[in-house]
Amino acid sequence: MNSVNTLAGQGSRAAGALRRFSRSTAAMLLVVVVAGYVALGIASSGAFFEGPSVRVFLQYLATPVLIGLAQMVALCVGQLNLAVGALGGFTACLMGVLMADHGVPAEVAVLVGLLTATAIGLATGVVIVATRINGFIVTLATMTILLGAQYRLTGTRTVDGYSRTLRDLGTSAPLNIPLVFVTALVAAALLAAFMYRTVAGRRLLAAGGNPLAARLSGISTDRQIVVAHTLSGLLVGVAAVTATASLPGVNRSVGGDWLLPSFAAPIIGGVALTGGSVAVFGTVLAAFVTRLIDAARAQFSLDPSWVNLLIGLVVLGTVAGGRLHQTRLEKSPQSPTALPQPGGAQ
Amino acid sequence: MTTAVGPPDTVTEERTAPRRLPFWVNQRLGLLLLVIALSVLFGVLRPAFLDQRLVLFPLLRDISTLTVVALAQLVALSVGHMNLAVGRMAAFGALFAGLGYDRLGVPMQVGLLLCLAAGAAVGALTGWLIARTGVSSFVVTLAMDFALLGLVSLLYSALTDDAAFTTHPSGIDALRSYSLADICAGPICGSPAVPQIAQFTVLAMLGLGFLYGSTRIGRELLLTGANPAAAELSGIPTGRRIVLAHTLSGLLAALAGFMAAAGTGTFRASIGDDFMLPSFLGAVLGGTLLTGGVVSVLGTLLGTALVGVIRKGLDLLGVGLESLNIYLGCVLLLALSADRIRAVVSYRKVVRST
Repeated sequence: MNSVNTLAGQGSRAAGALRRFSRSTAAMLLVVVVAGYVALGIASSGAFFEGPSVRVFLQYLATPVLIGLAQMVALCVGQLNLAVGALGGFTACLMGVLMADHGVPAEVAVLVGLLTATAIGLATGVVIVATRINGFIVTLATMTILLGAQYRLTGTRTVDGYSRTLRDLGTSAPLNIPLVFVTALVAAALLAAFMYRTVAGRRLLAAGGNPLAARLSGISTDRQIVVAHTLSGLLVGVAAVTATASLPGVNRSVGGDWLLPSFAAPIIGGVALTGGSVAVFGTVLAAFVTRLIDAARAQFSLDPSWVNLLIGLVVLGTVAGGRLHQTRLEKSPQSPTALPQPGGAQ
Repeated sequence: MTTAVGPPDTVTEERTAPRRLPFWVNQRLGLLLLVIALSVLFGVLRPAFLDQRLVLFPLLRDISTLTVVALAQLVALSVGHMNLAVGRMAAFGALFAGLGYDRLGVPMQVGLLLCLAAGAAVGALTGWLIARTGVSSFVVTLAMDFALLGLVSLLYSALTDDAAFTTHPSGIDALRSYSLADICAGPICGSPAVPQIAQFTVLAMLGLGFLYGSTRIGRELLLTGANPAAAELSGIPTGRRIVLAHTLSGLLAALAGFMAAAGTGTFRASIGDDFMLPSFLGAVLGGTLLTGGVVSVLGTLLGTALVGVIRKGLDLLGVGLESLNIYLGCVLLLALSADRIRAVVSYRKVVRST
């Protein structure tokens, strides 16, 4: 009994430290986002603060936020999900083909898409747990399979003759705030509530933070891995719905450039690759930062390659800076010793 | 040519002589048989598959290039790391070779050296960042991939008019299209199926085989991958070994980039775009463990060859491009379930011998 109590005490203390840390990263990101937005607004002599610009900015922010969250859920149990882009693209194409070629109503198609994505996530988790193959390789394989399936669904054409209602919903923006962005925010809020407030969410974190301790406290780590991949699949499904709704059409290139941003958002947001930490707000803000870089690129009409270069440098700077900061903290004697790893360790 | 840091080989030889692992556990033999069987099968179904000049020559050229890519991944995996930026390092190296040919007019060999040096430098930088900050190699190489992806395209659009270097130094066309048939010793000529570009692959394989099989540094790399803490305690400078592994990985990636550029004839930013998946496929199918400490140089060639043969064969059988990826993903999962069995068997062996 005694040992269980100390374990729980340590857990809550570690969680407290974790929250403090995620808050500080989020605070820094918030400053970056606000400063960047103001700077862009000034550089564009105010045009960036006007309705249409805000609307376009937020419209294309929904998908990065959702795929970042999908990756974050996998990372929080210490797994990777390389199939984020392929699964999203496949789901988007599936919904597009169902609506355009088979006349399925939009609601049914969206439901089928969400269920399929969730089911594929579930299957991935089950394969990882059952075969004990490294999750990296399993998701690499599912990525390959899904890319093939997506190509088979659409071929080289672009499917665009689908539901008017869904398209209208995707582009509608009351008060210049697009519905797809609201969807992403609601998903983030629900995920935050799940992670921070429910027992199931805490179990995920426990399994990711210290699998051995989690097992000893009666948590099935295998089940948590399956749950995390299922949830990741569901979030990718939502991302695919927002993409289908806001894009002019779906083809086989949808999802092709999702993989790298999906990792960039949680890593910049302060999620450790080793598992055991989440930063929902941080991930959302990090997606803002990457979107800002993209918007700035468009504003100054620079080569699109600048975006990749800058995002790469930002990720490198974030992880290296976080690690150096922590080393300095460890050296100073009065610092608490139980700080979580900022950038992920070996 | 598998090299593993487990129990010392001599001990295993003595103790397990009576209960040697069954031959089917030997992954390389299985792979070799599979490659031969599939080639024969495809050859019977589609006699065109055995056309030396039109099918086998390009197939072997692709396999040569992708084997080097997979070797670049193997070196990173040997210390328990990953190199997600293989493709981009290849593009970065090729950029310097192209720049040398186009602007400086250097001979082919000097350009190759430039290319290798650039790859090694960017690899060393990656390794240094990983060793210095202690951040996982996945994140650092992923960020490197982003950064190089942007940098290489920017440099190409800044330095060239149509985003490609097309200057051909003398000798590079020969490298692309010559096969062993062009080397004759008296009346006997080589096979027209084997491309001359494969010489780089053979050199890389011999070099790595020697490194991991017979040198102290190679053993230290493997031990660093198998158990970093134990390696550190045994006096191995793990930080320096990590930098070395990533430097070698960058160098091999750049070599692959040069081979790919020589194969297509132009130096473009898109070189290496599709290197990441084959790099893991070849290395892991060949028996290299993702967790580090076990590498197989020969297996990497066989794994890459298997993927190449399946791809080409299905292509000739009229299976569309779209289904190819589905089959490849399934092959990967099946092969790795077998890999898992092997890992369990070898783990039990280690436990028994200690």
